Order: sequence, then structure tokens, then C-alpha cells
Amino acid sequence: MAEVVFSSWGRNIVDNRKGGEKKDVSFKLPATYDGERPLSAFIGWDGIILYNKDVDIPAMVAEYMKRVQAKYVCGKCTPGKKGTRVIMDALSGIMEGHGKEEDLDTILDVGSVLSHCKCTLCPSSAVPVIDAVTHFRDAFVNYIRGAKSLSSEFRYIEKYTAPCMDKCPAHIDIPAYIESVKDYRFGDSLETIRESMPLPSVCGRVCPHPCETACRRKNVDEPINIMVLKRSASDYEWQHGHLPPMAPKAKQSKKVAVVGAGPAGLAAAYYMALEGYPVTIYEALPLGGGMVAVGIPPYRQPRHLLQRDIDIIQGLGVEIIYNTRVGKDITLDELRQKFDAVLLAPGAHRSKPMGVEGEDKGYKGFLTGGIDFLRNVYLGLPTGMGKKVFVVGGGNTAIDCVRVALREGAEESVLVYRRSRNEMPADVWEVDGADEEGVRFEFQVLPTKVIANENNEVTGVELIRMALGEPDASGRRRPEPVPGSEFIIECDTIIPAIGQDADLSFIPADAGIDTTKWSTIVTKYVPLKGHDGKDLKDGMGNMLSRNLITDCDGVFASGDAEIGPLTVVACVGNGHRAAKVIQRYLEGKGVDLTDDERMEDILTYFGVYDKNEDVQWLDSASREHQKEVHGRERASFKNYCEVELGYANSQAVREAERCLRCYRVAMVAV
Amino acid sequence: MVSLTIDGKSVQVEKGTTILEAAATVGITIPTLCWLKKVSPTGACRVCAVEVAGVERTMTACNTPVKEGIEVTTDTPALREARRKIMELMLVNHPLDCPVCDAGGECDLQDSCYALNATKQDYSAILERKQIRYDWPLIESDPNRCILCEKCVKVDHEIVGCDAIEVVNKGEDAIIDTVDGKPLNCEFCGNCVAACPTGALITKPFKFKGRPWTFNRIPSVCAFCGAGCQIDYHAKDGRVERVTSEDSSYNNGNLCINGRFGYRYLHSAERLADPQLRGDSGALAKTDWDTALSATAAKLKEIVARDGGKAVAGLGSPRLTNEESFLFRKLFSELGSANLDSEAGLGFAQAQAQMQRRFGFTGASKQLDALDEAQAILVFGCDLNAEATGAEYRVIKAASKKDARLVLVNMRDVKLRKFSNAHLKHLPGTELQIIYALMKGLVEAGVALPAGAEIIRDGLAQLSMDELCQQAGVTVAAVENAVRQMTGMTRVAIVFGADLIRSADASAKIAALADLAVLTGSATEQGGGVFPIDAKNNTVGMLDMGVTPGADGKDIWGIVEGIEQGSIKALYLLGCDLSGLPDNQRIRKALGKLELLVVQDVFQGDSLEFAHVVLPAGAAAEKSGSFTSLDNRVQAIFKAVDAPGQAKEDWAILADLYGRLTGSTQKITPAGVMAEIKDSAKAYQAFDGSRNGAIKGGSAARNDAALAPIAKPAAPAQPKFQLLVGPIGFHNGTSTTRSDANLDVAPAGFVELHPVDASALGISDGANVKLSSGTGALTAAARISDKLQPGLLFAPSHFRDLNANALLKGNCNLVEVKVEKA
Repeated sequence: MAEVVFSSWGRNIVDNRKGGEKKDVSFKLPATYDGERPLSAFIGWDGIILYNKDVDIPAMVAEYMKRVQAKYVCGKCTPGKKGTRVIMDALSGIMEGHGKEEDLDTILDVGSVLSHCKCTLCPSSAVPVIDAVTHFRDAFVNYIRGAKSLSSEFRYIEKYTAPCMDKCPAHIDIPAYIESVKDYRFGDSLETIRESMPLPSVCGRVCPHPCETACRRKNVDEPINIMVLKRSASDYEWQHGHLPPMAPKAKQSKKVAVVGAGPAGLAAAYYMALEGYPVTIYEALPLGGGMVAVGIPPYRQPRHLLQRDIDIIQGLGVEIIYNTRVGKDITLDELRQKFDAVLLAPGAHRSKPMGVEGEDKGYKGFLTGGIDFLRNVYLGLPTGMGKKVFVVGGGNTAIDCVRVALREGAEESVLVYRRSRNEMPADVWEVDGADEEGVRFEFQVLPTKVIANENNEVTGVELIRMALGEPDASGRRRPEPVPGSEFIIECDTIIPAIGQDADLSFIPADAGIDTTKWSTIVTKYVPLKGHDGKDLKDGMGNMLSRNLITDCDGVFASGDAEIGPLTVVACVGNGHRAAKVIQRYLEGKGVDLTDDERMEDILTYFGVYDKNEDVQWLDSASREHQKEVHGRERASFKNYCEVELGYANSQAVREAERCLRCYRVAMVAV
Repeated sequence: MVSLTIDGKSVQVEKGTTILEAAATVGITIPTLCWLKKVSPTGACRVCAVEVAGVERTMTACNTPVKEGIEVTTDTPALREARRKIMELMLVNHPLDCPVCDAGGECDLQDSCYALNATKQDYSAILERKQIRYDWPLIESDPNRCILCEKCVKVDHEIVGCDAIEVVNKGEDAIIDTVDGKPLNCEFCGNCVAACPTGALITKPFKFKGRPWTFNRIPSVCAFCGAGCQIDYHAKDGRVERVTSEDSSYNNGNLCINGRFGYRYLHSAERLADPQLRGDSGALAKTDWDTALSATAAKLKEIVARDGGKAVAGLGSPRLTNEESFLFRKLFSELGSANLDSEAGLGFAQAQAQMQRRFGFTGASKQLDALDEAQAILVFGCDLNAEATGAEYRVIKAASKKDARLVLVNMRDVKLRKFSNAHLKHLPGTELQIIYALMKGLVEAGVALPAGAEIIRDGLAQLSMDELCQQAGVTVAAVENAVRQMTGMTRVAIVFGADLIRSADASAKIAALADLAVLTGSATEQGGGVFPIDAKNNTVGMLDMGVTPGADGKDIWGIVEGIEQGSIKALYLLGCDLSGLPDNQRIRKALGKLELLVVQDVFQGDSLEFAHVVLPAGAAAEKSGSFTSLDNRVQAIFKAVDAPGQAKEDWAILADLYGRLTGSTQKITPAGVMAEIKDSAKAYQAFDGSRNGAIKGGSAARNDAALAPIAKPAAPAQPKFQLLVGPIGFHNGTSTTRSDANLDVAPAGFVELHPVDASALGISDGANVKLSSGTGALTAAARISDKLQPGLLFAPSHFRDLNANALLKGNCNLVEVKVEKA
């Protein structure tokens, strides 16, 4: 286990340079940068972490400040623009041998003036410099007294980020798009969004916005409404009839096939099309959007706006062939022969069974799954739903089912979940929305048996009450049945909505493509390990840093079928990376991750947001809330009108003004 | 209300107020540098940093809203120290060329350094000089002097909506530059220069013309469009060298290219400086005033005595002051002639008469600042950028900052297109179809009909929405969208301009638009306002003064016909430039028949060829009087400099002539005339001396329920090519074509055509194209623009060389043309 030589991270000084008793400290950083080269130092917004005493700290911070000044300082506030330049030039002077000791005091002085900056970029970038000057003063003084630079064999790699931007699986430059809104530049804002998110109308509406959980404004009062600001930028273009400004580069000769027109496939297609690659998407359904189109209800995501995003992607030259299921209408092998690269992004559209007595009897009124029910509704197919609808599950799909059931004419719409309301994986606002529309909830109950009459029609379900037992692997206390607490609820429709996975049967066994027991496709990864020797993994249990290429040459995988069923934004981020890797593959540049992609993964694992940070700011502007349609009428029969109405533009600007613009730069020495 | 204390003083302000604004209410001034009231706060300079008890960092007062109970301190040793250090950082590598910097003496950076005690320099960085942009027209940019306050960028984006400049590059290299790095190509309003706190942006015409404090500053009103922007002339040694406007003015200091740079026409070589008289040799010769005026008076008397007053006619000008127009009218009464008209007779006068009949107002039903509060704005047949830029700024502000919905009805993608929520780009000549479609949509959407208006419901029911839309070349969905923007709103403003006012059969269309205004309630007290637009500064005032055909008088075409038939023998052209009139070859020909042509003007123009007497007049900067803006604000102007040579103020010339005709020896002054106007012209009142002048009374609007009967409109014929002639933003009338500044960025005429037509005709961008109509022809460079529509061409009306007006017939600004590759 590599030892920390010095750390000032989080203002906790650990200095093991001078011998004596070693102080122990550990960070969520990989032992190596890329599986091979040791990560020798990490510097950034909260200090310095040094693993290798040979790293030339003055040279590293001088280089750090140079990169910060030249590449990232926006120049839009005086101390930031000028102050970082004064520090940079002072550090360069010292490195070049014409520095003076007073320069070190100037650096500390200017560093303190940076506390008045507009945003966090410059002040946070001064932190490792100040720490270096404070704790490595001798090394600077050596340079000042004429010592030559240590022959440094270290390579420096830096990454510009922000807590929200890091937390967003698509890594949208959130502070930039918010700043554009603040400046009344909705078009510029959307341009920034599209650099990482080609479905802005969707992710401006239905994104679970993990970014907001990492918003530093939360440490002051409430997070910025990042999602609705994205919607504001997206709606502005549509509401003003502006044409999207993107234009694809010159056409390439190599062609790419994508399996699935869902978020991952569309995102990958969008970015490849912009690079000039002809992309053909094969889609099993008669419409595009994947789970957004057949999973998310139109009152959350109006279909014409989803279609507008798809039309824009098609406008870049992407061809979508609908009603064509790969594995049935065309084989994977044919795609491999016809195209130079194939991306598998089929999504996760297969309902998981519930494991209840009677579910396999084929009773009329027992539907195959929530996702199938929703798909049938949206495609206008018969659903088999009756009047008293009983939905099992606690996720967003279960909520969508109960809310859609009301709109499809259910007299009673009941949701049962085995844990409590607080533990539901569904988004809180979705649960509240269902509540407002008149959905009945039964918590801490487990269906045990489907009850049917002699005509094999569902008439009810038997349930058992649950009580909390011991904590399980996830740390949540496992609910356990209370013996003798069985009861029956009458219903004519049961919809199990307990999860879905990918149907990978279209991949021939001999294709050489490995899959997991959770029905996901295995892709290659950088073997990053922690200092404890354990593999670094993402939140879904996948290897942290993946390049999305399968074991079969020229075949890549993305989306829910690669990650496991997750979110639109995760699939978009994953699809974007797939596009970049495929482009490198097609251009013969190898499929290794770039420095930027590696740093992206390392920082995501490290964590850019600190929920314990004491953020000093006046909490005088509270979070703006979008307009919303209220009352049960909004869920009346066939009423799929949008429930949330977005911001007025002036409101969007006010909300954007709350943003603290928490940019920062990390740099590693390897 | 929110209560807080600032420096121990308790303050109560509205929620959302910034600390800076709150402090100002109790007389506490927090230093600022990048803050500019009229744009969103930037927070760039950081000198307004204040302390808030309990918050362990400074907060910038300019963009931090107040909070209940907070204690703010604006001046502590720590704050003073921080501000001083920030100023010192700002000065790192700032050039030391203050002695020759245009901003010297009016530089906010100098003032701030002084005020914040930044008297030394502790910081340094390697000096890297940035390239000065000498290659921009009219404006020069020295990024070395720039403190990156972003005022210019914000004014450009938020007020002008032009988006020509932005912050580019990173770190110390960050500068303000054009978006594409090429020489500046914008509207050249110069509002960025006005906002610049240093000498980073300066105007070329003013460069090295003198130190700012050595000029006389004379308050006045811009004499180009009807928006009535308040300006200051900066004059020295008898020359106006700069025009500025204060942010405290009605127009918030915002001007357009004409307001800021159009003054250069004052120095034009084409100015008339001497009275001239056509001698026996047949040539015009310089003379003195007495000779010129006594000859004029004698000839006029002779003609009137012989043929009666009806043999005399006059064409006035919306450029003249109220006092001058009033005297002109008075002179004609004296001559016994009612043959008085002006270019307003091409449509605006008739439109105004309709508004007056229907709603009781002249000018506009409200003042322009009502646009700021509109919830929806319908801009109909108007390129507001070219016709009244000051009004356009307000529409942009309402639409982009105050959530007003903007509906644009225009044959072209005019500048407001990018701000509009709906654009009905209709086929030429189908304005009536659009108005009816909007009315039908509004009625179907359930707008409250005034009592007695049921007839309209029946009338509209007979019309087919599909057919109206099909004839107008727009989709039903587009109309529905436009209707949606206006439904449920109490304050819907309607702005309409030349493309409606001068369209074929304008009278019926304007009547229908008035009906639409009844449905939207725009003309009522609570409504959003109705704003007829004319591109000239004192059209409303001129009409109020009665420069319009009298009861038995002839209008402009009647006068031309009268001359052609020989019944009109004398014509008085007062500031009326021939090339500004349609079908002017015909008029030109007629002028040759006159026994007496009096040309009283500022510039040499085409009519000089036929003039018997030429009377050189002063321009707006060279006289005193008043103008009435399109929204009825009557504002005073003051003389800044003398007219060149022997040229005199128009009022003085008219007064002199009046005396000679009547034998009266009464001394006439503008103030005296205004007193007379107050007595005779309704709604005018004496000035109270305030900068904003007086609002003309009597424009109380009433909502008239007597709607016009609706009949199915006939689909207009759509000829293969039609030419629209109108103004562009770079000029106003023909006056600014004498300003070298305006000519610098818009030097000559051109013809715009749609790419579809261009490719069909094989015309490439910049190639010459020849247009001909029944009344004239022109050849000009083609500009290919998809802002037009197939079959529609556009040519600017300003350029005498191009003389696009000659192709028009009658009042209509649209004419069928033949298009050829030249």
C-alpha cells in the first residue's frame, strides 16, 4: 500500500517527509493512473496529495498555475484574471532562476485577494499553490538561490471540472450553460449542453438530476434547479423557432451501425454524425427514443419534443430504420459485414418476473410487466387493463404505471411496495405527483399470491405485511414478512413493475461477446485498483473506467445493456464515450481511453463535491420553482398534457444567478 | 418588503432588490465600476464587495439580493484594503497613455483609482501588448485599455440584441473581440462605446477631436426617427464633434447609428450655404437673403393675384420643428392655399386619421415606455430596426427580459425575428388575410367581445381559416401559435409600420387592424398600446401643425397632377427631398412646368435643377424649437452651432417671408410660435423646462365597438417578382446619406433577393442585377439573403444614386418588377 508522503487535502496536514511516526491517511484515488504508471501526486482545489517524494512540487504548481491561467481562467473578474497571472509569472520567474524571496510573499498576498473572486476557479486554484509555498518553501528558496530544476520525469495531466459537472454522468459543462442563461444567452447555453447532451428537451424534463445532489449551493440553502435551466435553454430554441446551429464535418467513408434508437444509441449516433460518420440505427420499435418513448409518460415528456430532438439528430444525416429487430430481421453478423463498427445499445426492455404464486398461470388481468404495459399504452395497443389496477414495485416505472393507469381510465390505482415510502427508489417528486393524482399506496406489504376466479380472471391479490429485519448488503434493513398478517385486496389487474433487464438473445453465443448474469454486455476496462488492491468500480458494480469495446472486434456496447438499467443521462454519457472510442477505432488511433476520459473517471471516483464543505455565501435568493398543473384533473381520462410547465425566461435568469460557478482544476503527476 | 441595516441605517426595500440598490435608497454609495443599471449585473470588477454579518466572505453588492434582517457593512479597513488591491491588480499592465486617451477626463477607471486610493503598484506581470483594432469601421478597440467589465458586451446583447462582440480567449489573454475575429460588422449604434468606462472602445469620428471637457454640451432631441431619443450635442469651434446620450434619459442613453453618428451630415460638402436665384441666364446664382426672399414674395404674390391661392402648393417635411411646420401652414393660409402635404401623405397621415376616428388618439395611444410593460407585442408590417430603433430596443427588452410574447408579422425575417415567439412570414399583399386569421383565432380562443361586436363573430365565421392561411402562405398551426401568444393577456401592444401603412389598399387593412386592436383591448387605458410607426422624427408634430391637405386642398398626387395640368403654378418644397418620394421621375418631369419652384433645404438635392429660388436652411443641431415624437412627447431642442454660411433656421426664413407677404412687422420667435400653437393646436402645452418636455394631451383612447364589416378578402395576384422599397437600419431618410460615418458602413444601394430567385436567375452575390417597373429602372449589386422569400426583392429607399423609389407607383411601397442579370 503506497504511503502518502504529504497531504494538505481538506486542510488536514499530514507530513510524513521528515520521518518520525507515520500518519495514516487514505484517499479514493487509484494506485496507478492507467493500471501501470503510479499516480505520484494529485493537486487541486483542496490541496496537495503527494505519494512520491521525488515529485518537484514547485515545478508542479508552476505548471498547474500556467495551465489554469492559459486554459481555464475566464477573465471575467479582475482578481481572477490579473491575480492568477501575477502568481503564474512569479512562479515562472522562480523556476527560471530570476525569482526573489519577496515573490513568495506576493504569491501569498495575491492568493488572499483571490478570495474576492466571482467564482471558485481562481481561489480554489490558489489553494495548492499556497499550500506548496507554505509547506515546501525550502524547495522554492532553492530555486531562488540558483538550484536548477530537478530532472523531472513526471507527466502532468490536468482536468477542469465542477462538482455538478463531475456528478452528471454525461459530464455536461453545467456552470457554463447556467452562466449563459444568466447572461440571457439561451442559444449559447443550449450549444454548451449539446456538447454533451443531444437530448436536451428530455434531460431538461425527466432527468433524475444527480448533479443537483452535488450542487454546492445546497451547502448554502437549496441546490440550483439545474434540470429546469436545461429545459429553459432547450425550450427557448423551440419556442422561438430557431434552427439548431450544428453542422456535421465532412463525410467520412467508414460507416457505423447502431442497434437501438434509445438515448445511448441516439447520443452515439449524434456525436459520430457530427464527426462526419454515416450512421444507421436499427430500431425494433416503430418509433425512436427507446425507453423515453415507451417508458416515460407523455405528461412528463411530450412526444413532439422528444421527436424534435430525434429529428435534429436525423437532420445531421443519421438514418433510423424502424421496425427492424436485430437478431430477427437482420443478424449481428450481417451488420458486422456491412459496417465498419457496430454499437450495441438495445436497452433494457424485458420485465423481470415477480416470483409470486400464480404469476405464471396466464390469468387474464395479470400483465407481464410495467414496462410492457406502458409500451402498449404509448403504442396504442391493447393493454388488458381493467378498472381496479394493482401495481407492484417502488421504482419510477411502478409510479409511471399507477399514474398512467389513472389516465387510461382506472377507477382505482394502487401501488404496493415492500418497504416504506422513504425507501422507494422512485424520485420523490414522482411519488408526490402520484399522491396528488389520487393513487393509493400500500407500503410494507408483499404480494404472495395471485387470486383468480374460475374463468381464470384475476380477482385480487393476497398480501402479507412486512417488518424491518437485519440490514442487507445495501445497508438497508431487509423487510421480512410478519407471519399471520396475510390479507387480500380486490383488483382485476396486476402489473408487476419490479425491474427490467436487457434481452441479449440477439447476440449469438459464438460472437465472442461476453455477458454477465445480470444480462449486461461486458466491455473492456482500465485495471484501476485502489491502494488497498481492490478493483475500482462504479455505482452499478461495473469496472470504473471502461472503453466500451466488447471482446468482438469492431463491436461496442453502450446504454442500459452495458451499464445495467439506469437513467437517460447515464446512457447519454455512456453513448457519447462510445462515439469517441469508435471514432478513434475507425481512425486507427486505438481504443485506449484518453487522458481526459481517464481523469473523468478518476475524479468521479474521487468525488469533486464535498457535502461537508462550509460554503460561505449569503442565502438571499431561494430556489425558483417551475409552474405546474395541480389537481386530480391533470390525471383525467386520456389527459397526457404536460404537468410541469418550465420557467418563464426571467425566472430562469434569476435561478441561474444563484449558481456559484464551482469550477476547479485537478492535476496529477504520473 | 425586506428590512435590513446598511452601515447601521435601517432600510426597507422590495424583495429581490440588490444590496447596492438598497444602499442607494438611504444615500449610501458603494463604489462600483462594472455595474451598469440598464443591463444585468456582471460582478466582474469586485470593487462593490461588502461585508454581511455572519457570512465569512465578501459579497458583491451589485448582484446580491437583500435578505430579511441582514447587517451589511460597506466600509471597513479590510474592505478598503481589498478594493485598493483589486484596483492595483486591475492596473497591472494597463497602458499609461491617459494623456492621449480619448477617455481621459471622463474615465471611470481614473475616477475609481482616485476614489479607492490606488496610488501605487505592488503587483507586476510580464507585459504582453495586444493588437489595437484599427481595422474596425467607426469604432476603434484597444484591448490593452480594457478592464473586461463586459458593459459593452452586455449592452450589445441585452439592449441592442446585435451579438457582435464577446469575451474571447482565456486568462490574461481574455479580450473583447468580434465573435468571428473579423473586423466589426454590426449595427454601429455605438452604445458599446458609450458604455465603455475607459478608452478601450472609442469612436473614430471623435478621436483626437478634443478633450471631453472642452466641448459645449447642448441638450437636444435626435432628429432622425420618431422615437424621440434625448441626446447631447458636443460642440466646439462651431462644429458638432460628438453626440451622446445620458443613461438617465428617456431612452436610457441608447441610440442607434443615426443618433450617434448621423450628425456627421452637418459637415457634408453638399450643405446649402447661400441663397440662390435663377437668373435670366437660366442658371442658379448665389445671392443675398433680401434679394432671394423679396423675389420669392413678389412671385408668389403675382401668381396668387393672377391665379388665386389654389395655384400654389407646398410639400413640407417631418424633419422640421413644430414651430416651423406651424409657420409653413400659416404662410399657406395667408396665400389662400390648402394644397399642402408631405411624405406623410403616402400613408401615415391616413393611418393616423383612422386611428383618430376609431380610438381618438393621434401619434400613439401610449408612450413608448408602455412597451416595457406589455405582456405580448404584435409587430405588424414594420422593420422596427430601420423605422424606429429606439422603439425596437424596448421591444427587445420586453421580449427578452420581461417575458413579453412577441408576434411578428412580416414578409421578411427582420431583426426582431430572433426574439419572436411567432413569425407569420406572409406572402406579399396578404396583410388582410393575416389580420382576419388572427381575429378569427382570437375569437375562437374565446376573447371577450365588446358589446355590439357580435357582428364580427358572424363575419369571421364566414371565413375559412384554411383559406386565409393558404392565401397568406402561412400554416394554420403558425397562426394558432401566434394567437396563443396573445390570448389571456391584458396588455397586448400593437406596433405597425410602413409595410402595412404603405401597402396596397392600406385603408381597409388598417381598419381591420383597428378591429383586431379592439379584440386585444390594445387601445384601451389598461391595454398595451397602439403604436403607428413612421420613420421620420416629427411626422406626428408636422401633422398636428396642419401640414396636410386642407378641406379643398390637394394631396401630394393631386399637387403633381395639378402641376402637370398647369393649374398649379408655384410649388414650395420645404425640406422635401425629391428622391425620397415614389414615382419621382414623374414628379421630376412635372417640376419643369412650374412657374415658381421654391426649394428650402439643408442639402443640395435633385430638385435644384428646377428651382427658381433656393433657400439654405439649418439642420436640427442648428436651431431651436420642438419635436413631437411618434408617441406624443413634445420635447425641446436647442441650437448647438450655427448653420453654415448664410444658411438660416427654417423658422427664420418662413417668418421673414411671412412678413414680406403680409407686411407684418411682428417679430417671430420659436417661443412665440409655441405660445400660438398652444392656443390653436389642440393638446399642445407650453414647456415646463424639463428634459422630458410635455406629453401632448388629448390622446385618451376609447375602445370603439363599431367594428368594420368583414368580407372575404380577395387573394392578391402574386406576380413573379415584387420589389419592396424601404428603410434599412444604417440610414434614416436621405439625410444620413450625407453623413460620411453612415456611408462608411452602408455606402451604397443594393438589391436583396432570395437564394431561390438568385439561382433561378443565375445571379451571384455581388453581381449586378437590373430591375425595371412601369415607372423606372435601376441596376445595383445583388445581395442574396434568405431573410426574404422567393419572388420578393428588397431595395433600400435612402440612396439617391440607386433611386429605388422611382420604381414605385403611387403610395404603395411594393411594386411588380422585371428582374434581369445586368
